[in-house]
Amino acid sequence: MVAFIRRTLESLVNFLLPASYFAWQTVIYMSLFSWLMSLLARALGTTSFTIGVMATLSWIMLALGIGWGLEANRIRPFGIPIAPWVAGAILCLFMFGSWGGEWLQPALTAWPLVSFGVVAVPTLISWDFRPKRPAPSVRQQLVLLFLLSLLISSWFQFYFRIQAWIQDYPSLVTDNFDQSAFVYRLPGQSTQLSAGVTHLSMAETIMREQIDGKPWSSVERWLLNEQGQRQTLQREVQRRMANQPSLENDFWQVDFQPFTSGDGYDIKIWAIWSGPSAEATGYHLEKSCSLMPVTQGARYDTSTDMEAQPFASTRWANLSCQLDTPRQAGHPARYTNRQS
Amino acid sequence: MPLRAIAFQSLLLMVAISLEALVLRQRMRLGYQTSMQYAASLNLLATSLGWVMFLIAESMLPPPLRSQIISVVLFNRFYPNGWVDMLPVLTVVSAMGVFFATYWVKLQGLIWLMVLLERAPVTAATESESRHQRYEMARRGKAAQRQDYPSRTLAVLEANALSFTAILILLLLHQGAITL
Repeated sequence: MVAFIRRTLESLVNFLLPASYFAWQTVIYMSLFSWLMSLLARALGTTSFTIGVMATLSWIMLALGIGWGLEANRIRPFGIPIAPWVAGAILCLFMFGSWGGEWLQPALTAWPLVSFGVVAVPTLISWDFRPKRPAPSVRQQLVLLFLLSLLISSWFQFYFRIQAWIQDYPSLVTDNFDQSAFVYRLPGQSTQLSAGVTHLSMAETIMREQIDGKPWSSVERWLLNEQGQRQTLQREVQRRMANQPSLENDFWQVDFQPFTSGDGYDIKIWAIWSGPSAEATGYHLEKSCSLMPVTQGARYDTSTDMEAQPFASTRWANLSCQLDTPRQAGHPARYTNRQS
Repeated sequence: MPLRAIAFQSLLLMVAISLEALVLRQRMRLGYQTSMQYAASLNLLATSLGWVMFLIAESMLPPPLRSQIISVVLFNRFYPNGWVDMLPVLTVVSAMGVFFATYWVKLQGLIWLMVLLERAPVTAATESESRHQRYEMARRGKAAQRQDYPSRTLAVLEANALSFTAILILLLLHQGAITL
């Protein structure tokens, strides 16, 4: 037991205190020292320049030290030397992380190129900062490595470009990408509500303002001018959606169609997507509402300004809509099962 | 994540590199490893520049065309809008443009690479023929063409054509347009 502890302690001491000063541990210690100094400088309230110099030194030392340590211990998962990549990542974190805000994109994009720089600089510049000419075989390796890192950087940029598309057209996320030759959605990534739902509820609100709670006769008259109401509804939705400007607003068009059912009507409100989609014929979201006459005679019999209708109490329109908006492929079938 | 793009592009790059290495090795009488390195450098150069050009061009296109690109990338199809009739023509024209642009980039890349590696082109021997010999050949007027072109140009053209054909076949197979 004692021997085990002693052995562990010895290996720990060997790990922390290398035999030679020219070792990666020294560089890490210098980095730590520099960082502590920057903290001290901050505590003492010196100029931000001093703090910046200390912190920068600390970061660079950390990158160098970890890279050196990984290389010295031959940590190579799958035979890939990861030392320049880790050092490059630390440098990118330092360079772009201190920007604040949107730093992830430039950092990830620059990462392969910075890592290439970490590899290339020692072969191109000698210890006394004089350029040196490496052998042609090394030059060939560097060219390949540079182009490879450029390619990986392009892939990162492509990823961010797709993210930008999704920001511009949020409804794309709700579609499925199984057909794509480019992207693959990792399982478990959340799918949010389509923006078409907003258009639908907007249309419902407008329709409610126009016909809900109105006398049934005026609602019947409203429905007679179906084409005109359709245009009014579309214009009104576009006008109100202008509060939330988005590139994809142009891709949504609302429409509705009443179908007779019993005493009243079934009204289907549609938000039709005319943008890119997985289905060849596009898709639409559907909201089913029912418009029914309700008799509320007693309440209004006493009102003086209504015409006196002694035997037929007044009928009022009641619009009730379902909450779910199922998604259906193709263009809505407006005239197929119309019964009126 | 564009994981499929990365996987597919790596596959296509490997195919293109091995085919082009084959052509370069035969046409330019290079070693096995050298031809492989050259082909890898040229294809990586063309691909990276292609990505840069695509990313720049995509941000400058008008929105209808841009949404068509989104449609192709995300859903692997065009969607009907005002541009849809133009798109087949545009695709073919831009594919041909890409072919010649790639050819030019690869040729320039090869020249720079050889300068960088201080490797004299193998064709120096044919270029150093005396004027008299060339005159004699031209007078006889046969079989002189191959010597007159630098073999480098021809090799790159042939390699590019071969790799583009292979990539086109693979893409068509992937789309299910042709079946084996």
